[in-house]
Amino acid sequence: MSEVAQLQLIALSIVGIGILILLFIKAVFLRVTGFVAIVLGLFSLMSLAVPQLASLPPAEEKIDIASIKTPTDIASIGQTVFFSKGQCALCHSIGPSESARCPDLKGIGAKLSKDFLYESLTDPQAFVYQDYRHGGVPKEYPATMPAIDKDPIGLSKNEILAVIAFLQQMSGEPISVSTSELEIPGQPSPAPVKAAESSPLAIAQAH
Amino acid sequence: MSAKRQEIKTIQPALQPVKGHGGWVASLLLAAVWLVLPSIGIAAEGTATGPTEYRDIPYIGSRNLVWIVAQLHLLLAGFVLGVPIFAWLCEVIAWRGGEKRYDKLAKEFTKLLTSAYATTALFGGILLFLLVAFYPKLMNYLTDVFFPSFLLYCMLFLLETATLYLYWYGWDAMQDGRKKTLHVFLGFLLNFFALFIMIVPNAWATFQSSPVVLSEGTALERAWAATWNPTWWPINIHRLIANVVLGGYICGAYAGVRYLSVKSKEDREHYDWMGYVGNFIGVFGLLALPFAGYWLMREIYQYNQQMGITLMGGFLSWLFIIQAMLIGVLFLGSNYYFWLGITYRIPGSEAKYRRAMLMMLVSLLLCLAVWMTPHSLVASIEEAQKMGGAHHPLLGVLGVMSAKMTVSNLMILITFMSFVMYWRAGKQDTAGWAKFGKAVMGAVLVVASLAVIVLGVWGYFVPAIVRINYFSTSQVAIVGFVILTITPLTALLLKSAKTTTEMVWGSMPPRAGYALVLNAVMVILLMTLMGYARSSSRVHWHVYGVMRDTSPYAYSPALGSASLIMAFCTFFFCILVAFIFWVATMGDKYKTTSGTGKGDLPQGIPAMAGGAPGKQRQ
Repeated sequence: MSEVAQLQLIALSIVGIGILILLFIKAVFLRVTGFVAIVLGLFSLMSLAVPQLASLPPAEEKIDIASIKTPTDIASIGQTVFFSKGQCALCHSIGPSESARCPDLKGIGAKLSKDFLYESLTDPQAFVYQDYRHGGVPKEYPATMPAIDKDPIGLSKNEILAVIAFLQQMSGEPISVSTSELEIPGQPSPAPVKAAESSPLAIAQAH
Repeated sequence: MSAKRQEIKTIQPALQPVKGHGGWVASLLLAAVWLVLPSIGIAAEGTATGPTEYRDIPYIGSRNLVWIVAQLHLLLAGFVLGVPIFAWLCEVIAWRGGEKRYDKLAKEFTKLLTSAYATTALFGGILLFLLVAFYPKLMNYLTDVFFPSFLLYCMLFLLETATLYLYWYGWDAMQDGRKKTLHVFLGFLLNFFALFIMIVPNAWATFQSSPVVLSEGTALERAWAATWNPTWWPINIHRLIANVVLGGYICGAYAGVRYLSVKSKEDREHYDWMGYVGNFIGVFGLLALPFAGYWLMREIYQYNQQMGITLMGGFLSWLFIIQAMLIGVLFLGSNYYFWLGITYRIPGSEAKYRRAMLMMLVSLLLCLAVWMTPHSLVASIEEAQKMGGAHHPLLGVLGVMSAKMTVSNLMILITFMSFVMYWRAGKQDTAGWAKFGKAVMGAVLVVASLAVIVLGVWGYFVPAIVRINYFSTSQVAIVGFVILTITPLTALLLKSAKTTTEMVWGSMPPRAGYALVLNAVMVILLMTLMGYARSSSRVHWHVYGVMRDTSPYAYSPALGSASLIMAFCTFFFCILVAFIFWVATMGDKYKTTSGTGKGDLPQGIPAMAGGAPGKQRQ
């Protein structure tokens, strides 16, 4: 029997006890207790009827460098990070969605360079797409996109590169993240990813 | 787990020798010692070199134990802080209006405070010990940040205790003239200190959810900066209103239980009236609560959008559907109680208002259905592909905040109108301007309802920031305007109205008592549910983004298993409150059986129940 089924049985028993009390006991206080038991049992049953999602602390994504042979392997890890620890899918969609809160990332890997993507993830305020749904007073909520390498998400450099590889793959682009860029624990870090040029031209070209 | 099994194996042979000798006391002692052992064992586990970070307790687990004790402490604190507001309001009504029975009611509830206060402090002490024992690293950090406010908190407790003693023990001695004024002032002071007793620890809890950057400075400067974190005041206001609601509904539930058990006509009248007052104060607070909740969520989003999304669109999204259900039941229960009042206390009114009541019921159910519609479903990639996105094509339209804000405002309007209907029942207007006045009120209500709906629909077509900043606040302002316009107009109309049907107290059916109990249970459940939500929104952080929870309990349990703990906390709290009521009223029962009865029981109709107050004052 699954854990949820066991808990449902407990909740159902509480409701049953409450019903029995109401049926067979005359004392008012006990009857009220039975009534409360029914209400609480029903509340638990209702709570058990919805999807049961626990929030687990993000596992430290250990990227096994040795197992990565091709850029596609990197993109595969990036997909996992995108939908789990990175929490990207909470706000972004891949494909048009009217109700998504944040920009659609479909094709983003083709539009933006790897370096620009890296900077957008680690320093989101460096460039803000000027036309993106800022109907009111601009910049009232400046920190909409968190710096993904900082807490509370805190992706490692390897994880960010993997997400970029995934985005490029989703856009049908050749993956420009190479295995040599990944940090190997205990070895000196490869050359850092270059930041994009901070100029209006860069924005225009990017979009 | 293996360590626990090892301990079980150890204790069983240890208990064997005493079994044969009937040494159950020794067995209990051994068991108690055994219970302490794991704590010592796990304390050593901390880190090899550093101080202990966590301790644990077998079976129940440190997190669950702290959860239960913290929740009970919070509920008791809500009760202890809500009841003085309730009692003081009743005392002021009696003082200004001359209705002595309100004074009696206030005294009856203040009597509960002494024992409830001690119980709350007891659970607070247990909670502190448990936190220090189980979470030493976290407590050390929080003490470093908040030490000055700990001292302030102790001082406030001393002041609150002294004021409570003066307020309670001086009740009879300070009944007349200036002494009464002084007593009312003491009641004010009691609530004033209670407010600060609530907001000081709120700073500790909200800092955990929305910490601010603490720069170098004196201990006082750092504590001050940490106290003024973004969610501090939204929580303060939300809890203050929620405490009033809790106090009112618990008073109602107490009256409901007593109403079901008493036999004499006098007692039935008394507890029927008390139930009405409790429900009225609960509803009074309930009307403002969604606004405060909305403000809190807005501040959370503004502080950290990710935390907001975790709450509303992430793994806690289903929790808000359960919350909508509980609030919906609470609204339905409160309205149902008003409708029962119209039907049974004011004979002849049922036929007049039956259609309106039915329409209100249908509207409330429709609003509830929209409120309970989920928006962001946590779906697998396959499920999302089938739906054509993360949002359901049909439900997604109703599940957005624009629709939810609209229906919550409409539910508040309907509940308010239920009260107005109850207030007006059994009265005939005699004022010359009555027709015009009623037309104005009707127009205000219709225009306001339409405006709320129009803004709600319009909200779909504007950027979220415009909806949040202008449309939602306008909806709240419109509802506030309706309440502030119709209440004085109705009061003015009824001042000169002729009573056609006297209100008959003590004639409510038993289900009215159960409705009052249901309302109280819903409020308590809501508090436990949102306690879980607030804690879970921090996910795997003790202090969000600052101090990570590295214990084995760093996860948030699923809603189903959490609901059983919430149900347990609710049940245990109800039993505790029943015990407090029983202990506090033991003396009264003795007096009643000895011949000193209640004296003046309510004979008339309270002013807010639509009676003619002048005639009813005692």
